[in-house]
Order: sequence, then C-alpha cells, then structure tokens
Amino acid sequence: MMMKRVEDLNFYELLEVDPGASSQEIHRAYERIRKVYEPNSVALYSLFTPDETETIRARIEEAYRTLIYEDNRVRYDAMLRAQGAMPEPPALPPQRTGPARTGRTGAPPAPERRPAAEPPPASGPSTPKHDDIASVSQLVGEFTGPAIRLLREQRGKDLRAIADITRVGMRFLEYIEEEDYRKLPARAYVRGFLQLYAKALGCDPERLASDYLKRYDAAMNPPKK
Amino acid sequence: MMEIQDALRKKEIWAIGGGKGGIGKSLITGNIGIHLARLKKQVLLVDADLGGANLHTTLGIGVPEMTLSDFLNRRVEHIRDVIIPTGIPNLSLISGAQDFLDAANPNFAQKTRLLRHLETLEADYILLDLGAGTSFNILDFFLFSDHGILVVLPEPTAIENAYRFIKSAFYRRFKRVVSDPHIKDVIDAAMDQKNSMGIRTPHDLIERVKTMEREVGEVLELEVAKFRPKLVVNQVRTKMDIQIGFSMKSACQKYFGINLEFLGYVEHDDCVWQSIRSKRPLAVEYPFSRPSRCIERIVHNLLRKEQMTMSMLY
Repeated sequence: MMMKRVEDLNFYELLEVDPGASSQEIHRAYERIRKVYEPNSVALYSLFTPDETETIRARIEEAYRTLIYEDNRVRYDAMLRAQGAMPEPPALPPQRTGPARTGRTGAPPAPERRPAAEPPPASGPSTPKHDDIASVSQLVGEFTGPAIRLLREQRGKDLRAIADITRVGMRFLEYIEEEDYRKLPARAYVRGFLQLYAKALGCDPERLASDYLKRYDAAMNPPKK
Repeated sequence: MMEIQDALRKKEIWAIGGGKGGIGKSLITGNIGIHLARLKKQVLLVDADLGGANLHTTLGIGVPEMTLSDFLNRRVEHIRDVIIPTGIPNLSLISGAQDFLDAANPNFAQKTRLLRHLETLEADYILLDLGAGTSFNILDFFLFSDHGILVVLPEPTAIENAYRFIKSAFYRRFKRVVSDPHIKDVIDAAMDQKNSMGIRTPHDLIERVKTMEREVGEVLELEVAKFRPKLVVNQVRTKMDIQIGFSMKSACQKYFGINLEFLGYVEHDDCVWQSIRSKRPLAVEYPFSRPSRCIERIVHNLLRKEQMTMSMLY
C-alpha cells in the first residue's frame, strides 16, 4: 500500500470510513475524528504543530460537508472514480439511505445504480448547491419543526428515508415536523426520536433535541402561576 | 494435526516499552505473564531494564541471587543458568542486572550474545520488560521481538515520549535495512525535527530516499507496512481516557502511516499500589479487581490477535 501524506488522503480515508459507508456512519466517524483533531487534543501532543492540526481540521470539515450531502457525494465519487482512486463497480449499495438490513453487511442487491456520475442535475429545487445548503443551515438557528423539515428537504431526503435510518415511524416524524405535540408520545420518547432524527440529518443531536424540546415544553407545560 | 500443534508451540517474544518511566511497564509485563501462565503457557519474563530492574519486585520476589549481569559478565556460560522460578507455576524469570554499573550499558558484543541466547530459550512466550528512554539498546530489544507493546498514560508527557519512541524505533528499523551510507545519513538527519532538508514526517523521508534510490524507498515503504506496534493505555479514569487509544491510532495512521493496534487499557485503581506496597502481584492479590480484569482482556486480545473497537466502549 502506498503511503500517503495527510493532504493526499481522500475524504473517505480522512474520515476513516469505507467508501460504501452510510450517511449515518459518516456522521459518526466525523463526530469521532473531529474530537481527535480538536486543538489541544492530548493524543496529538508533540506530533502535529497547531498549524498542521488546523489544516487537518479544515480538511475534515470539507470531507464531511462533501460526503454528507447526497449530491455532493455522488459528484465526489465520480471524481474519485475518474482518477482511478475508487474501484469502478462502486462498493455503494444502490440506495445508501435504505434500511440497514439491505445495507453493506448483507449481500448487495442487484446493482441498479443510480445514474451516479451523470452531469450534476442543474434543475429542480431538490438539488441545491453546496453553498446554498451551508447558508440555509446557518440560517436555521433554532431547530423548530419547520426548520427540521427544511433541513431534511435540503438534504434531498424524504420522510421514508429518515424513517428507514432512524427506525422511527413516519407518522411521528411527521408530527415532529408539524409540531403536533399532542399526538407525540411521552417527552422521553420524543427526545430519543429527535436525537435519532438529528443524527440522520447530520446535526448535533443534543442541540437539536434541546432546542425543539424548549418549544415543546412551552406548549405542553405552560408555566404555572 | 501435529503441524497445527507445532505452529501453536512456536515461541513468541513480546517486548513491553513506552519511552517514559513509571508508567507501569513492569507491572503490566509481570501481570500479563501471570495471566498467560494461568492459561498453561510456559512463560519466561526477562527484565531487560538493565539500569533499573524491578520486575522481580512486582512479582514479590526479593533481590535474586542470579541476574542478567552474571550472564553479561560471563560468570555463567548459558543464559539458562540465570533463570529463577517465581513460585507461580509455568512462570519463570530472568532478573535484571543489579550490581554492575556497566551492566546498564552492555556493549555491542554483550547485547548480541544476549539476544542470541534469548532465541535459544524454550518457552511459549518470552516477555521483555524494557527500560525507559529511547537508547539504542532499548530500541533494539523492541525491534528484536515479534510484538512490541507500548504503554502510555493519558497524559501529554507519556504520549510525547511514546511518539518519540515510535519514531526512534521506526527510524532505527529503517537504518537497519539500508546499506547506502548516504541514505543512512539522511535518516539520521530526519531524526532531527529541525533538519534543514524539510523532512518532517516519515512520508517526507521516504519521498526523499526515493529521489536518491527508488528501490530503497520502496523497501522502506514495505517496512512501514510491517511495523505494527501495539498500544496499552494505563491508568485510565474516564471514557475519554480510553478514547485516547483510538485517537493515537488515528494520529499514527495519519502521521507515520503505521498501523498502531489498540490492544486495551488498564483502569486506574488503588488496589494497584496496594499490591505494589504489599509486594504481591496484582493478579495474585486482587485477581478480580478491575485492573486485573483489564490485563486479562489484553492477554486475550494478544492471543486472538484482536484489538479494541469503538463499539466496545458503548
């Protein structure tokens, strides 16, 4: 195996994931690796200079932003393949967002590949550009139900896809997005659902859940006089 | 069937090092030995910490009569003659040098004789307890063994020394496989972090060597793939501390391009120093304590050639 310098690692190598990794796996790997390379990380002591660590961090962020969004990832994979850096019959299961049981572990189903490397679809509101996504998620600020829906749509995922990843019923996901609090189960369950949903979207689970529950609490348990 | 048995009987030499002193190398060596011996393996512990031997103390043995210095100074002919029993079945010990000042710094001939004799010894496992530091003798013991185990504490000082140890061992290994004196000079220069050639990482070094002689660079690349030290994080108090093992693995992969195997961790517990105070081995005095269990798990990982995975944390 060729030895590579950090700058030459591709995004999968950088995040230490398999090229066929699901978005959830990528998210988890990102969360882990981001901690490894945070400034003053004790495990790096004396190995990397602060500048080098900063460069690696920037690359990790870039890798994550590229791989977590379907469209960007498809384009990136195509680029890797064109460079011969990724095997041609892609290790990706046809539907990356599909349920885990048909995912990487099982025998991959018939390779009905998506039109992967085709020219980046320029039309349609469901294929926003990288920059648009970044700006929207910054704009979100607070994770309200509609904000979560917007975020999901920006990721190009429908409720079914989220339900498959999180194993949370579509019905409940819908109630979450509609902020239909009364139809949701007890608060503790809602919290769990929110965290799973956040992970599937690649957001900070703690932040999303606490944001959302603040509004939930305000509506469900109005402060007593 | 016989062949399988023979394969299983093949002797393995493990070295336990780590660069920094006082991080539990002897304690871990001794207790790994006890756990192996309990699994009915013939185990020989060798205290290769020639300047500051105290492996015998972690095993609860007083100052031994025969030590390595008797062998090094040729008071006995064969290394077999300095093996002493430990009182634990299947476990014997070669104690470190005690008396002679020069025993701490054996010369080349003495070291070669020692390594040659070690290879002839009959045992299932020979464990070398290395001293602190990155002197050539220590590095050579480490590289001589089949498996090198590094011990660190979750502290910057220990981690810094561990990386220095890896780097030194790595470059010494490089130097042994090249013969061209010019390339040897480049490797020496690369050890100096502020070298004028701009070589910062092993990757830079290999690229540099490749411009000098392509094949030699490729040989070094192979050496990188073969170098797989193992890591034990000692005295962990939190999950974050365990995490350091995974982080170091990632950092080593990215910086050195080597595969550091995270073998396991040992939890911090007062029973460890209590056992040292009472001069009785941890695995004997507190066999069911958490640190002792941790070491048991390390032994299992070693025997099954496995390592820690993230999922074990949750």
